[in-house]
Amino acid sequence: MNWRWVPAAALLLFQMGAILYARTVPSRYFCWAPFDMQTEYTADVTVNGRELTAREIQQRYRRPKKGVDNRSVQHVIDMFEQTERRYHGGDDTRITLRYRVNGHRPGEWQWPPR
Amino acid sequence: MAAAVAASWNPLRMSGTPLPIPVLLLAKLVALSLLLTNHQRLLPDPFLPFIPIDALAFSKAFQWTMKAVFIAAAIALLFNRAVRLSALVLGSTILLAVVSSKAYYGNNKTMCGIALVLAGLWEPKLGTAFLRLQFALVYFGAGLNKLLDPDWQTGQFFHHWAGSRLQQPVYLTLSPLLPDLALAKLFCYSTIAIELALAVMLLYRPALPWALWLNVLFQASLLEFTGTTFTMFFYVMEAMVLAFVTWPRELLVLFDGDCGICNDIRRWWGRMDFDRVSDWQPFQRGAGDRFGIAREALEQRVHVAVDGRIYAGFRACKMVLLYNPAMYLVLAALIALPPESWRTWRRLLVAGVMAFFFPAFNFVGELVYNWVARNRYRFSNQGACTVDISRGTQSR
Repeated sequence: MNWRWVPAAALLLFQMGAILYARTVPSRYFCWAPFDMQTEYTADVTVNGRELTAREIQQRYRRPKKGVDNRSVQHVIDMFEQTERRYHGGDDTRITLRYRVNGHRPGEWQWPPR
Repeated sequence: MAAAVAASWNPLRMSGTPLPIPVLLLAKLVALSLLLTNHQRLLPDPFLPFIPIDALAFSKAFQWTMKAVFIAAAIALLFNRAVRLSALVLGSTILLAVVSSKAYYGNNKTMCGIALVLAGLWEPKLGTAFLRLQFALVYFGAGLNKLLDPDWQTGQFFHHWAGSRLQQPVYLTLSPLLPDLALAKLFCYSTIAIELALAVMLLYRPALPWALWLNVLFQASLLEFTGTTFTMFFYVMEAMVLAFVTWPRELLVLFDGDCGICNDIRRWWGRMDFDRVSDWQPFQRGAGDRFGIAREALEQRVHVAVDGRIYAGFRACKMVLLYNPAMYLVLAALIALPPESWRTWRRLLVAGVMAFFFPAFNFVGELVYNWVARNRYRFSNQGACTVDISRGTQSR
């Protein structure tokens, strides 16, 4: 068997797995769901008692304070939550993320979870 | 056709490399689009990676290394240097960027990376089987996800996206004329049906040509509807089609050697045909005899033999264009170079190209061709036609 088949087949098998796995979780990574969801959101962030500016939010989370994401809403939440868990565990951070998915009624996500 | 020639430094030339022309064309189109849209500026440092590589102490060095490798591989690919390795490295760099940052992650980037890697892994025994499976997998995943999404089932997604987000004038005009969400549902279910049908058709070899056409139309209609290329998605999904084209072993153009403008076009096209795909022969030399084409028909219209299959007039001109790889690179550059805000330009350009090559346009094309053919002696001061073309046309 030619060695080139191995990485090519592995790539395809990984994606098949990702498509199936996406049926069991709210995130939609590597399952080919482009532009399947429109999430409008606004994030308010306070770190150690000080409210972050839009520029500081962009630097901290690599997401704008207010924006639209065409991936799963879980992707936006992941960006905020995992940034805190992974890089800023020692900070006293409060995040309020207000979002609307596909024009539905607004939802809200908070960090730390209550 | 040139088959065993050395790889050229000319980026518009495709022959003479270890990859077949269609697969190299796919890789080059993706590389060119990436470079022209200045994609390297988006390559990230590790941030919320899917694999634990942000522990790397030199994250800025990682980012700059990726950018340098990205640019070097893309340029090497364009200039026909170690094309297989260049495609693999460029694709792997993009995939590494995707898994190293959730901020960078996106379907369009993932697809570019995978297409390039699979192009680099191409081998003659399997042909384009992996690329075809990949193509089908994208549409299967996309269709399945939409089918199971309640907002796609009710039309809510499309209503919000087209109405509020895009403020698409056609949708805003037509939607109020129909029952609530009816038009949105129609668009949602049409999209789902097309994507799932494409997944099946791409896997069923006899339906492949239809699938490729449907993909071209589907992606072009998305561009027409939104005015955007969805970052890299339009480029890579359209470029994928070319990987499945069977490039002709022989493309013989039978033209009127007594006609001034015909000779002008032959000379001009000869300079554009970097891979020497087409072989231009005056029919007066009897080059068309083996195809059994009537001399009268040859006097009236240009004929093209593509691996023995005969096309005449406007259809023949289209074949000569379609089998010139350089045309696709020029077209991609015309779409990718202008700034993102040039939506009207992209819409007009893509609509024009689609109309020109779509079979339904043949009627108009033949009218224009016949008018030019009848008046061809007026367009050149280098001699005139000696044949009578005023009578009706005939083709096989």
